[in-house]
Amino acid sequence: MNFLFPAFLLGGLAIAVPIVLHFLRRDVAPPVPFTAVRLLRKSPVARSKRRRLRDLLLLAARVVALLLLAAAFARPYVAGAARGSTLRIVAIDRSYSMNAPGRFAHALDLAGRAIDEAAVGERVAVLAFDDHVETVAAPGSATAARTALAAIAAGFGATRYSEVFTKAAEIAAGDEARLILVSDLQRSGWDGEDRSVLPAGISLDVRDAGRAPSNLSVVSVSVTPDRVIAAVRNSGPQPRSGKIRVEHDGRIAQTSTYTVGPDSAVDVAIPYRPPSTGTMTVSIDDPEGLSADNSRFVVLDAGPSNSVLLVTSGANPSGYYIARALAAIGGTDVGRIDVRSSTAAALADDNLTKYSAVVLLSTRALDRRGRESIAGFVRAGGGLLIAGSPEVEAAVVSAIFNWSSSMTGTIEMPAAVALSPTDPRHPVFRPFASLSANLGQVRFARAWRITADGWEIAARFTDGNPALVERREGTGRVVLFASDLDRQWNDFPLHPAFVPFVIEAVRYLSAPHDRGRDYIVGTAPAGADLRPGAYRVGPDNRLIAVNVDPREGVTKEMGQQEFAQRVERVDTTSGSSGDVRSIHLEAGQSYWRYGLLLMLLALVAESFVGRA
Amino acid sequence: MAQTSTSRDLRFLDPAVIARLGTMELKARTVVEGFLAGLHRSPFKGFSVEFAEYRQYLPGDDLSTLDWKVYARSDRHYVKKFEEETNLECHLLVDVSASMAYRGGAPMSKLEYGSVLAGSLAFLMNRQRDASGLIAFDDRIAFRMPASARPGHLHALLLALEHLKPGERSDVGRPLHQLAEALVKRSLVVLISDLLDDPEPAIRGLRHLKFRGSDVVVFQVLDPHELTFPFRGPSRFRDVESADEVTADPASVRAAYLRELAGLTLRYDRELRGAGIDYVQLDTSQPLDFALLSYLSARSRRK
Repeated sequence: MNFLFPAFLLGGLAIAVPIVLHFLRRDVAPPVPFTAVRLLRKSPVARSKRRRLRDLLLLAARVVALLLLAAAFARPYVAGAARGSTLRIVAIDRSYSMNAPGRFAHALDLAGRAIDEAAVGERVAVLAFDDHVETVAAPGSATAARTALAAIAAGFGATRYSEVFTKAAEIAAGDEARLILVSDLQRSGWDGEDRSVLPAGISLDVRDAGRAPSNLSVVSVSVTPDRVIAAVRNSGPQPRSGKIRVEHDGRIAQTSTYTVGPDSAVDVAIPYRPPSTGTMTVSIDDPEGLSADNSRFVVLDAGPSNSVLLVTSGANPSGYYIARALAAIGGTDVGRIDVRSSTAAALADDNLTKYSAVVLLSTRALDRRGRESIAGFVRAGGGLLIAGSPEVEAAVVSAIFNWSSSMTGTIEMPAAVALSPTDPRHPVFRPFASLSANLGQVRFARAWRITADGWEIAARFTDGNPALVERREGTGRVVLFASDLDRQWNDFPLHPAFVPFVIEAVRYLSAPHDRGRDYIVGTAPAGADLRPGAYRVGPDNRLIAVNVDPREGVTKEMGQQEFAQRVERVDTTSGSSGDVRSIHLEAGQSYWRYGLLLMLLALVAESFVGRA
Repeated sequence: MAQTSTSRDLRFLDPAVIARLGTMELKARTVVEGFLAGLHRSPFKGFSVEFAEYRQYLPGDDLSTLDWKVYARSDRHYVKKFEEETNLECHLLVDVSASMAYRGGAPMSKLEYGSVLAGSLAFLMNRQRDASGLIAFDDRIAFRMPASARPGHLHALLLALEHLKPGERSDVGRPLHQLAEALVKRSLVVLISDLLDDPEPAIRGLRHLKFRGSDVVVFQVLDPHELTFPFRGPSRFRDVESADEVTADPASVRAAYLRELAGLTLRYDRELRGAGIDYVQLDTSQPLDFALLSYLSARSRRK
């Protein structure tokens, strides 16, 4: 018997109270003056034994009640109780790389054998995974697992291993288990995964479903007015060549040839003027490799663009650096950002509803109508990025939204002050990932002093003052950068981190207006199938293209040993993982409920004995 | 000082009590002695101040009543008794033993309650010009005031009741025998005691009084705690007179105690009534007028 919170057992020491009282009161009966003691003396003597028995029963009931209460709070559980029947978890990779000829059948065979190896009484669960994990058979009989396994087919997702371990730990619920992972061990399955953790109580058995074949894939397509540029990647050891086709609305519109070296990619320019509407498919033939990435779908309809208004002072360099940073996205890609500039004085006459975001770099001559226009724009769902520059007056900004003293003036920065993301998961900083340290190279000489009331802090200066804060106004967002973006109070625009910072900030603020056209399988909006293709979705029946994740087409494998080394094992008998296991065990057993019930019974018994 | 005495007397002379007794006054006299004219009958020939008899002097007798001539002749003290004092002579015997000082669940101790009862009876007697006397005793006679109906006697008696102090152990039998020997004429003897001692001496003493021709009324005054034994939790019950102790759990001994008390009550009731003695058990938590009415009702039924 173990306890989740053993410290509560100290509460059991409270039994000393009734015990001490029992012994104190046993012999010390208070003197009571009385007159008819002569009559009392003639009373039966046997009463004392009965009283003693009653007192002992009362003492026992009270002690038991206190002990049960302490034990219930300590949350008891039996560590070995759930280990009576072991658990076998069979996880099978169903990413599109498993669609190589004969591979998935082999994987099914391996998984079936893993199920057959289950001992009598051993529970078996079956997981199917790509970039999502599905429990196709909950822990149960091997027969049910085999039935569920037969229904699994390879799909079009990309391999992601970490979620398998998370799901396995969840199913094991702190108990010991064996995870048999059947996969082609695609190295790309670890892309973007910093750390995969598997409890030590779960043994890992990796079974290789077979070496990946050489694969050709169309990894991207870009369209210019007079040609189509397709990137073809060869993950095989031999150079490959062949034909590449452009199909428009189901008809071959143009063909070309390509030659790509071993383990490399090549951009193939196809001379073709694509129409302005409809969908286009760029395809190659790769009978030996994976079929799902042989074609790539492109939507030709002019997509919506995010339009950003820079409110500048009208003088150089106000807005110059931001405009250049946003121009780096390109004018043809989906998700491009159209940049417009305006002065604060002209803001009142501008219709802000056509913009997805406004960057406020100056408040000079911003009149009441202009302020109301900005406030209405944000509260209607627009995004506003404010830079705390010398061109922006804090009082005017506060007046836009009736903020009460969020900005309390400017502060001079020591030379060493830099930027440090407080929340690396914030959408503005998320793309930086491990490169966020680059932000630390920026030097800030002056900034606004911002009180945190009502703001969520995304980043701070290294002296602790808020640097990037965010708040909601109506249905829109306001992001306030405490220093300027025109290289007056800092050298931020001169650093490489400036471009992604500005782009991500503007994208984040434009997110409610962003309606992309290109999706990866599994991430497309409702209405699209879980396979590549062109689909019409949404209330506006817009056209989108869904393609496979090109990373899956890079058929680089890893050995079982190397694979196992990528998995961090955590001892579940100690530390936080042990706590998690204990919590799972305790939650499943819930002996504390019985403890409290018994305690109530003890108190009821005490009540009856006390009245006797 | 006079005012203080008067206010203290009033405690015994609760107007409400007197008013109620007033409606029963003549019946009470008829039942107790029947000496007085009107509703009750005297066994003797009317009122007079004629000499009736000599009686040996007892401590507490008025020295003015000593017959010095007889003393000169016989060298013994005798007091003269006159007919007017024999209408009804009531002796109020109040137990002042330590147990009478007990007060459990009532507003008054048993001694206070008994004193009020005795005062009320004395007042009643005085109103009918009957003689009333007081004897306070524990294991001996601690105080004695001869019966008299003279003006001022009631006040003295009430004052004496006011100043009664609890004594030591009680022995009801001994003073009863002493009184029985001293009484030379038929009297009304009212015993006010808790009667928690050995009942045998008390019963014998009361029978002795009855045998000597006195009419006897016994008020057994008990506290509610003595009647119900409501104690809780193990306790050491210490006798207020003997300091004897009994450790007991009240819950377990209550029934046996109440049985013992009921047996004692039953014995008093049976043996005293068998001897022609009235026996009334009083609860000090009950109103005093209720106690007197209970007694008078009992006397009324006896008539």
